[in-house]
Amino acid sequence: MNLRIVGCNFRTANVDVRERLAFPPDLHARASAELAARFGCEVAILSTCNRVELFLARPHGATVLSTELATEFLGEVHHVPPETLTPHLYSHADADATRHLFRVAASLDSLIVGEGQIAGQVKQAFEAAQQLATTGPLLNALFPHALRTAKRVRTETGISLGHVSVSSVAVDYVKQVFDHFGDKTILVIGAGKMGRLTLKHLEELKPGRILVANRSPEKAAEVAAGCGGTPIPWDKLDDALGEADIALSTTGAGEPIVSQKRFDKQVRPKRRHGRTLVVLDIAVPRDFDPAIHDGDRVCLFNIDDLTRIREQTIAERQSHIRPAEAIVAAEVKNFTDDWQRRKNGPVIQQLRSEVDKVRDEVLTPLLAKLNGKLSLAEKEQVAAAFRLFQNKLLHGPIAALQDASKEGDRGTLIEAMKKLFRLG
Amino acid sequence: MSLSTLQGVSHTCFGLSYLLAFTLELARIRWPRTGLRTAGLVVGAVGLFTHSAYLAIHHPSLAAPYGSLLLLAWVLAVFYFYGSLHHARQAWGIFVLPVVLGLVALSLVIVSLSGTDDVDVPVWLVGEKFWGAIHGLLLLLAAVGLSVAFLSSVMYLVQARRLRTKANPLGAVKILSLERLEEMSRRAVNLAFPMLTAGVLLGMLMLNHEPPSTLVTPSLKVLGSYGLILVVAMLVYMRYAAHVSGRRLAVWSILAFVLLVVVLMAAHPFVEGGK
Repeated sequence: MNLRIVGCNFRTANVDVRERLAFPPDLHARASAELAARFGCEVAILSTCNRVELFLARPHGATVLSTELATEFLGEVHHVPPETLTPHLYSHADADATRHLFRVAASLDSLIVGEGQIAGQVKQAFEAAQQLATTGPLLNALFPHALRTAKRVRTETGISLGHVSVSSVAVDYVKQVFDHFGDKTILVIGAGKMGRLTLKHLEELKPGRILVANRSPEKAAEVAAGCGGTPIPWDKLDDALGEADIALSTTGAGEPIVSQKRFDKQVRPKRRHGRTLVVLDIAVPRDFDPAIHDGDRVCLFNIDDLTRIREQTIAERQSHIRPAEAIVAAEVKNFTDDWQRRKNGPVIQQLRSEVDKVRDEVLTPLLAKLNGKLSLAEKEQVAAAFRLFQNKLLHGPIAALQDASKEGDRGTLIEAMKKLFRLG
Repeated sequence: MSLSTLQGVSHTCFGLSYLLAFTLELARIRWPRTGLRTAGLVVGAVGLFTHSAYLAIHHPSLAAPYGSLLLLAWVLAVFYFYGSLHHARQAWGIFVLPVVLGLVALSLVIVSLSGTDDVDVPVWLVGEKFWGAIHGLLLLLAAVGLSVAFLSSVMYLVQARRLRTKANPLGAVKILSLERLEEMSRRAVNLAFPMLTAGVLLGMLMLNHEPPSTLVTPSLKVLGSYGLILVVAMLVYMRYAAHVSGRRLAVWSILAFVLLVVVLMAAHPFVEGGK
């Protein structure tokens, strides 16, 4: 197949090394063109925060590009001595390389198994290579097959179900309660980092109003400015809780700021028409007394609840790895078989046309000689007999060629065939 | 498909189709495959088609519990099919199909108990066929509304329980949000309320024209009328009481639906006073 993958990922290289080997867009284009020109190969480069990989394919008959050459190139491009890179790099060739790419695209090789981003990144890498005109027959067949495999894994197993970030799980809970958000009010209490991240996810729901309460009015104003919200004084917290549909709490307070007693006395009476309040308490220590959760009027989820769901999801995904690997294995076999058939295609075609030519050289004079002695139907029978003879004769060599390819023959039989039948 | 083939369609055809569609829905929870969803939809569509053909060819009387339950099941089957197409990720069939199957089974029970699927139209309908039909239609529409309210309420309670226990929000069975389900229930109650009220009022007016002799012994049919009035009262509460919470609305909707089904079953010739 003549495919080589050389690269590193989060398992083999720490972030320092990965940063040094990353390909920003301008370098990506230059390096791709240089690789293609220098080694006469098809090139695609996958560069994400968790991995950097070179996909190098050469035409039939050429030798697979060596790991050493690829490593030297990486070192040269990034101005790093190649010997310092070697311990961090892995290399795969042919079917192994195919399997590696299919596993990467299907997110089986990801830091968080089942994450959906990597398939898009593989697609981008392929599209970028196409735009740079560094792809050829092998990569043009390989990448789409990898993306199809990723889709199969995603749709036929539960490996990508659920969310694995605490913020996303929080939003999932909110969506279990509310359907539309244009008429909803989000109250942000505090200004913790995790809270800002969750707020970003909540902002995507396009809420009607965001209120921000903080002990420090300056901080409240700063957070409000960042999310298009309205700062409110800290002493109006109970009123704001009375109006809010979603409360996101992330203060650094040492003890709960909303006890059950305070909630029942100060907040509950202010809530109109028994509306449901979802409290996302992601502060540690917790800001809300867990006792106010009743699953009806008040749904409270704290950091433990969200983390538990995150871990459940990760564990659930693990159970889908085996069926996902089976899909990858089947698709790798499909691809390699298909590729071998394609590789033999030109030789088989040439063989057939050569033998067709010989057949015609024998058959045409014979039919001319017998002209007038045979009817049209009899002539056709003679021609059909020649064709049958030819097919039976070629069946053995062609089948042997296909079998040898499947068994990993790297071209010995093809070469023998070319010599035996004097194929150009 | 010829008409003679369709004439051979029986309860078994659509009953088994719905059952198979339900089984496929259950399987989809364990194995979330697109193929299973497609297969479920195809089988559900077959069920709906044969069910429609059965109603069109046999046109069972809507004045009879048998016919009205079958038609109600058909309306819910349409609801299932529409919902499954539009809410691909939700476990729609898991909730709707058991009710459809239940109603089909109830109609079969009624036939087997009475030995006939014909109905002797009550005396008060014979002379007033037009108004009787209107009365039946209004009750049926109210039943449709209450069925939808029932289904969304069951889903609401399941969803509320999941939130109370803080279950995985993206668990195997996906359900619409509490807000959406509550809206569905309220809309369905709002639809059912005027229909049922008008239907019951019409029934009472017609009952006033009944010869006194037929009203001497209180029959289950008369009790059924009281049951309907009770359902109307429940709807009035759900419709007009201030700030009925989603949970309370769900519980009352379920009770109202169960009572309505009992009434629909009771008003049948096989029970005392019907014939």
